[in-house]
Amino acid sequence: MGAPPQETVLPRVGTAPSRLPRWLAAVIWFARKKPLGTAGAVIVVLMAAGAIFADILAPYEPLATDYAHMLRPPSAAHWLGTDTFGRDILSRIIYGSRTALLVGFGASILGATIGAAIGVASAYFGGRVDLIVQRLIDIVMSFPIIVLALAVVAILGSGIVNLTLAIAIPFMPRIARVVRSSALAIRETPYIDAARAMGFGHGRIIFRHMLPNVVAPFLIMITAFVGQAILLEASLSFLGLGVVEPTPAWGLMLRGAAVEFAERAPWMAIFPGLAISAAVFGFNLFGDSLRDALDPKLRTG
Amino acid sequence: MQRYIVKRFLLMIPTLLGVAVLVFLLMRVVPGDIVQLKFTLEGTGVSDEFLAKERARLGLDKPVTQQFVEWMWGIVRLDFGKSMWTDNPVTAEIALRLHLSLQVAIMATIVATLLSVPLGVLAALKQDTWVDYAVRVFSIAGLAMPSFWLGILIILCLLIFFQWLPPMFFTPIWVDPWANLSQLIWPALAVGYRYSAVATRMTRSSMLEVLREDYVRTARAKGLWEQVVVVRHAMKNAMLPVITVLGLEFAFLIGGLVVTEQVFNLNGLGMLFVESIARRDYTMTQALVLLTGFTFIFVNFLVDLLYAWFDPRIRYG
Amino acid sequence: MTMKRFPPRGRPLALMSAGMIVLACMIIPAAMAAEQPKAGGTLTFAVAAEPASYDLHRETSFASIHPVAPHYSLLVKFDQWKYPEIEGDVAESWNISKDGLTYTFKIRKGIKFHDGSVLTAKDVKATYDKIIFPPKEVVSAREASYEMVKSVEAPDDQTLVFRLKWAAASLLANLASPWNPIYKADILAKDPHWYEKNIMGTGPFTFVEHVKGSHWVGKKNKDYFMKGRPYLDGFQAIFIRDTSARVATIRGGRALIEFRGFSPAARDDLVRALGPKIKVQESPWLCVLTVAVNTQKKPFDDARVRRALSLAVDRWGGSQHLSQISIVKSVGGVMRPGYEAYAATEAEIVKLPGFGKDIEASRKEARGLLKEAGYPQGFGFTFKNRDVKEPYEIVGVWMIDQWRQIGLTANHVVQETAAFTKDLRDGNYETGMDFACDFMDEPDLQLFKYVSSSKNPSNYSKYENPKLDELYEKQSRTRDAKARRALVREFEKIVLNEAFTVPTLWWHKINPHWAKVRGWNALPSHYLNQDLADVWLAE
Repeated sequence: MGAPPQETVLPRVGTAPSRLPRWLAAVIWFARKKPLGTAGAVIVVLMAAGAIFADILAPYEPLATDYAHMLRPPSAAHWLGTDTFGRDILSRIIYGSRTALLVGFGASILGATIGAAIGVASAYFGGRVDLIVQRLIDIVMSFPIIVLALAVVAILGSGIVNLTLAIAIPFMPRIARVVRSSALAIRETPYIDAARAMGFGHGRIIFRHMLPNVVAPFLIMITAFVGQAILLEASLSFLGLGVVEPTPAWGLMLRGAAVEFAERAPWMAIFPGLAISAAVFGFNLFGDSLRDALDPKLRTG
Repeated sequence: MQRYIVKRFLLMIPTLLGVAVLVFLLMRVVPGDIVQLKFTLEGTGVSDEFLAKERARLGLDKPVTQQFVEWMWGIVRLDFGKSMWTDNPVTAEIALRLHLSLQVAIMATIVATLLSVPLGVLAALKQDTWVDYAVRVFSIAGLAMPSFWLGILIILCLLIFFQWLPPMFFTPIWVDPWANLSQLIWPALAVGYRYSAVATRMTRSSMLEVLREDYVRTARAKGLWEQVVVVRHAMKNAMLPVITVLGLEFAFLIGGLVVTEQVFNLNGLGMLFVESIARRDYTMTQALVLLTGFTFIFVNFLVDLLYAWFDPRIRYG
Repeated sequence: MTMKRFPPRGRPLALMSAGMIVLACMIIPAAMAAEQPKAGGTLTFAVAAEPASYDLHRETSFASIHPVAPHYSLLVKFDQWKYPEIEGDVAESWNISKDGLTYTFKIRKGIKFHDGSVLTAKDVKATYDKIIFPPKEVVSAREASYEMVKSVEAPDDQTLVFRLKWAAASLLANLASPWNPIYKADILAKDPHWYEKNIMGTGPFTFVEHVKGSHWVGKKNKDYFMKGRPYLDGFQAIFIRDTSARVATIRGGRALIEFRGFSPAARDDLVRALGPKIKVQESPWLCVLTVAVNTQKKPFDDARVRRALSLAVDRWGGSQHLSQISIVKSVGGVMRPGYEAYAATEAEIVKLPGFGKDIEASRKEARGLLKEAGYPQGFGFTFKNRDVKEPYEIVGVWMIDQWRQIGLTANHVVQETAAFTKDLRDGNYETGMDFACDFMDEPDLQLFKYVSSSKNPSNYSKYENPKLDELYEKQSRTRDAKARRALVREFEKIVLNEAFTVPTLWWHKINPHWAKVRGWNALPSHYLNQDLADVWLAE
């Protein structure tokens, strides 16, 4: 089915029961067409709800220590047990979704935006600029992601903001590369030539005319990166270079004691890991289906 | 073709040089220094004169530009310097761990290939059926699980259900293949599963694309025998991007298994990387970055060659 | 995975294992006392890190001591059964002049280096010259401890004389330092750096190999000067960085002992898994976590604010809880609790600010002090810590919770160790988790941490107090133990009242090892007692 991309973003209202608002129709269409993606979306929405309503949902203060109830197994009072400080694991997981979403979205939006700007600029100016930018991208990309993030954290120090930045930086060249190739195609269209001929400035052409046309790959990459960012946050926190105690964060909950007490208190190692997996799983499922929906080449009739 | 190879090969040099400059600068910007760390790490008080003396011994008192020039000059002569922590040549330190890292990378790639190719093909053939969904859920789950957590779970299961733990130190495969494999199979599984996810998805989508070609469609409509032949043919064409993905991942596996190595106590390059950065061991970190950078760039180069060989239009493009 | 497969096993098992430990501690030593040491066997032990260089004169890490020490002898050493008493090693006997300015050692005859050459007083002199008066390009980590030494002389092959500038209380202990292995004079004369990468000593074990990244092997020295020692045929040190991997190695019997120490969780797991096969030795550890307060940052220039920080901390309560999950336990002042000669007794320490047993009273006092200083509502500050979970981050989380209870909000900034060390040393912090770890109980070493910053780069608080410096010097030159103890108490009182750097909890050393390892007594420092001459294996 060779429908142009503009139309596939929001499918014709006619395919859904009439009189429904356009967005609802789109949702229903998506849910029918992409059951897996919908499952992912549900996980993401649940997670977001957990993050927003953490204060109401969490049975305990996530930071409240209770030395009288250390390392308790799951029970009616503590559904998922307690950790070495007697803190309630369920509450820490619920609050941890805040950290995960903050870093996940923060890093991917930051990384994707700057990366996209670099990619579009590189494509637009072409020639020597393009060549230099491409070499720089090669250089940054030849560092393994985690190593680059490690170096950035080492320079800036740990903490949520620095961590977000450290994760965003390795994303930039990856996104720049994808966006550049989409932008290159657009640059060759008569439409941009016309804009130039009319004497529009570089900035205006880039922002008004080129950026809107690379929105699809941009969105796809953002959703794909949120999951990765959450994983990376967990890994860095696990290594002790991410979020710091006593902030509730999933990767941090797996660090140190969780392994040490693995045999005696396996709940400490299992539940935060499940939370990470479920969150990333949700984002990936959703992102995958979104890509299928937005990218006509992969769609089948 | 030869001209293309030479041109692509020469293009690697400025990139590597850039990597060298970047890592050199990064390390100097990172706060903290190796001498201070090493001698105050365990809470003993040492004098500033002592630290200054030790710094001079490592050449850290020289101007940064001079340090850079000396380092570069060493590299030109293939002398990568000595680790500032152990005083051993960095090449010796790397050689010590390369075997382990390479073996885990190879084993993980085998695991990934064995999982991804059949699953990806199956998913493509049975697109949009429950088989497809199951494969996709399986592969996305692989991407979603942190491999260090999977590692913890594996260890936990072995411990609780079998009262057994993998060996804790490395034995080369030619010394004792059993001890070697019983240590490395677990990280290879944990990492291989994760990496199979990307390759499965790649196999599935490139298979789908090939399957959509007219000649394949016709053949599939005809009958079973033809179908088998064509699927095999289609697979051949679909494999190029899959090989690319596996190759690029392999390059990353060599230096990038930072967290997994920690969980399984593997004395590999990823661990060395983290340790060197944490210790501010400049020479060691620089050499490691150059090594992984080179591997990555070189694998890219090979992939490009492969494409050029398969698709002659590229070389002239 | 469902819950059923992981039956909740918190409390009863913990109790059971605690019971087993007590049992193990009680039964085994009693049974051991009557036993005859048996010769033979190889001792495998785990070490958390690999040595950077083999020259202990310049190193400061246990990672160097554990594999290297069995190859060497010292001049004198701590008696492992009567610590802190000192016995001879290559010295047969010694004599201290009445004025305390001349120490004369008689060196044993017939001690041989592993290459067959004979050890004389000249080798000992060359060794101590390198430590006390290092050549320009050689670094000696503990040079400052020997400031009182004027000269080292070897009038003949069997006599060694130390001449002092002033009578010092600590010299003999400093000569028993595990960091001072005796090297060979000829080798040092040729190349003072030779010992960084080679081994040549007179110790109970000869060097076989160091397989980098893996292990270290030593073999029995048949010519060792102590008759009948060592009992072991050899030893093998295995380098295992990861903590849980080290525990697993002991559990699987791939190593029999780890000399530094394990966490309470690891102890309980090992005891539960191996029962009576495991023996646990515990002792207060000569390491302390302290809070450093930057006296140049407001409001920490005010001693009342600093004291409030210390008063808020419920050390006795913390000891109880934290000792279950971490390696901290003992409550003490500037000297290690349990060190009879110089540490404050419990009756003495509870009178000092922050050490009282009534925490509510202390916190009330703290709030009062904050009010006086102009902070009735409390205030916020940063607390820097290093990115090591055990015990730093664990104790950090606890401290922040303690401060919260007097209205102070500490922002936990966990840094990479290298960056953290630099920030602390450069004074780029408000409050930070500092720690001190020494290789022997000795006021000169433990009190030095609190001497004015201008004289002591490891006092990160930038605090200056000539009175403290004077007391430090005075106690250092007081040879009468009773008088010296009084000076130490006086010093301690000033430190805890001024609260520029205050002890929180002292570490607790837990050494679970296979019960068949005999003849090794866990001392309060993991740097001590590592020559393994007396260790033997029972089957």
